[in-house]
Amino acid sequence: MTLLLTLPALLLLALVFAVPLLRYGWLSFHADSVITGLQPLPNGGANWLRLIEDERFWQDTVQTLRFAGLSVALELLLGLALALLLHQSWRGRTALRTITLLPWALPTAVMALGWRWIFNDPYGPINGLLQVLGQPALPFLSSPASTWLVVVLADVWKTTPFVALLLLAGLQSIPTDLYEAFALEGGTPAQALRRITLPLLLPYAFLAVLFRLAQALGVFDLVQILTGGGPAGSTETLALYSYLSAMRFLDFGYSATVMLGMFVLLLGLTAVLLLGRRLLAGGRA
Amino acid sequence: MSDVERPQGLVLEGLQRRVGNTLVLDHLSLRVAPGECLALLGPSGCGKTTTLRLIAGLDQPSAGHIRLDGDDITRQPPSRREVGMVFQSYALYPHLTVERNLSLGMELRGLPRERIAAQISSVLELLQLEPQRRRRPAELSGGQRQRVALARALVRQPRLFLLDEPMSNLDAQLREDLRAELRLLLCGGPQPVVYVTHDQQEAMGLADRIAVLHQGRLQQIGSPRELYDQPANLFVAGFIGRPRINVLPAEAGCIRAVRPEHLEPLAEGGLPARVLLREWQGASQLLQLETPHGRWRMVCDGRVELAESFGLGWPPARELRFEAGSGRRLL
Repeated sequence: MTLLLTLPALLLLALVFAVPLLRYGWLSFHADSVITGLQPLPNGGANWLRLIEDERFWQDTVQTLRFAGLSVALELLLGLALALLLHQSWRGRTALRTITLLPWALPTAVMALGWRWIFNDPYGPINGLLQVLGQPALPFLSSPASTWLVVVLADVWKTTPFVALLLLAGLQSIPTDLYEAFALEGGTPAQALRRITLPLLLPYAFLAVLFRLAQALGVFDLVQILTGGGPAGSTETLALYSYLSAMRFLDFGYSATVMLGMFVLLLGLTAVLLLGRRLLAGGRA
Repeated sequence: MSDVERPQGLVLEGLQRRVGNTLVLDHLSLRVAPGECLALLGPSGCGKTTTLRLIAGLDQPSAGHIRLDGDDITRQPPSRREVGMVFQSYALYPHLTVERNLSLGMELRGLPRERIAAQISSVLELLQLEPQRRRRPAELSGGQRQRVALARALVRQPRLFLLDEPMSNLDAQLREDLRAELRLLLCGGPQPVVYVTHDQQEAMGLADRIAVLHQGRLQQIGSPRELYDQPANLFVAGFIGRPRINVLPAEAGCIRAVRPEHLEPLAEGGLPARVLLREWQGASQLLQLETPHGRWRMVCDGRVELAESFGLGWPPARELRFEAGSGRRLL
């Protein structure tokens, strides 16, 4: 009976997750490219051996981790500050709550185009401002050092509201009388933040980080539109590499292998995070 | 300065709180002596919790003064008032163990570690919470949580105890057991105790004096006995005493009222009454009667057999009289 009732959900999961995963697993052990006439031919573990020796794959791994690490960290910090601000009662709070959510509501493709224009060299508004101030225009999107930071900035701008929203829900779940009891015991607001708010917010922050990391590590649309992975592949991510392997180089077997390689990395990272949380929870008991 | 100028204990002077256009608390003045337990009693919305929050400093009064042992603490922040408060919800820190719940306040004040440990151990032992000291609030029963909240107020050795309906979340049996315990623990110590409740049984069982509040105004303050025998007005007469007092219609500007236990069946004459409902409670019985003045309540000995209809009477000396307009008791 239990099985029968969960069958629709299981079927859906099987169709959406299991089937593509198995198909990719199968494909990663085949050569399937223009050379084979787009016919899958078994090639043993050749794709996987190539992956391990592929410098581009490892460089993209580092770039993906760098992007995800920095943007999620910034989003967590800014999201916390924003949530604390939106939790206080002051005039205009409701208006700010609405405005805050706007970047998140915007489609990524639209906002990526917007940021590309903002940082355009030399016609974008930022360079316009620099020129008004008598400074030379800066090639924001054509130097590897600054381009990845622009990508981080755009991502932080868009998804900080999401983190803030999750943390705000967490803040609202903390009863006010805890703060009153704390104040009566001689605690200052700063101490209350450290001793009450942050510990009680931890489960929400963890959830936010998990959601955001999963998204940021698989980032595709933002990078594709904002930089196309450039300049010189300096902002290319694993998802973009997998996409290019299939759609530009028409090497479907290797594209599947890149995707699965990324999947394994993600699984490992999630396991580490979960373990870390368990250790943290154990340490508090 | 002499003791007259610096009264010990807690003194409220003309305390007032206005929220928008509503007067939540209207010129409340009272004094709680050291070691005295005062219950603030009244229906919901009467201003009793407001009063407690003003004393704790969690809200600010619109007017009036609060003095503790002669010091004006009206404008002091809550952290400096040294009050121990038990919240209705207990307000225990959910992420901390029982012992950390107790120690946090003392850690903040930088007390030496050994002294904190000693103080916690003695309080945990006093409240029989020793076996639970490493548990979190979620792993405790309602009664245990209540005791932890109490322990947290006790452990800091405050100058004043404030309790906000501390037993309203417990079942009846537990409440009765804890009432005695609470009285032993809190009352009779050096600190004044202010206890907010809407349960008159709790107030009468715990408090040395009761202050009855209604619509933000103090109706009467006195010992439980005084409130019962000499209620200041019709509201207090109706609020104190279960089953509720029976009220006669106004006659020549005077309202008369009789307590249920003072009614007696007459051999002949009296107020005609018919039994609607009989609750037999062992030692006594509670009768719901239909009379020309509406439904009355009567309490008498459990062994008395009564007819279905009889005449009601009462000794005139037992009757309470109130002024029809103001509700004030006439002497």
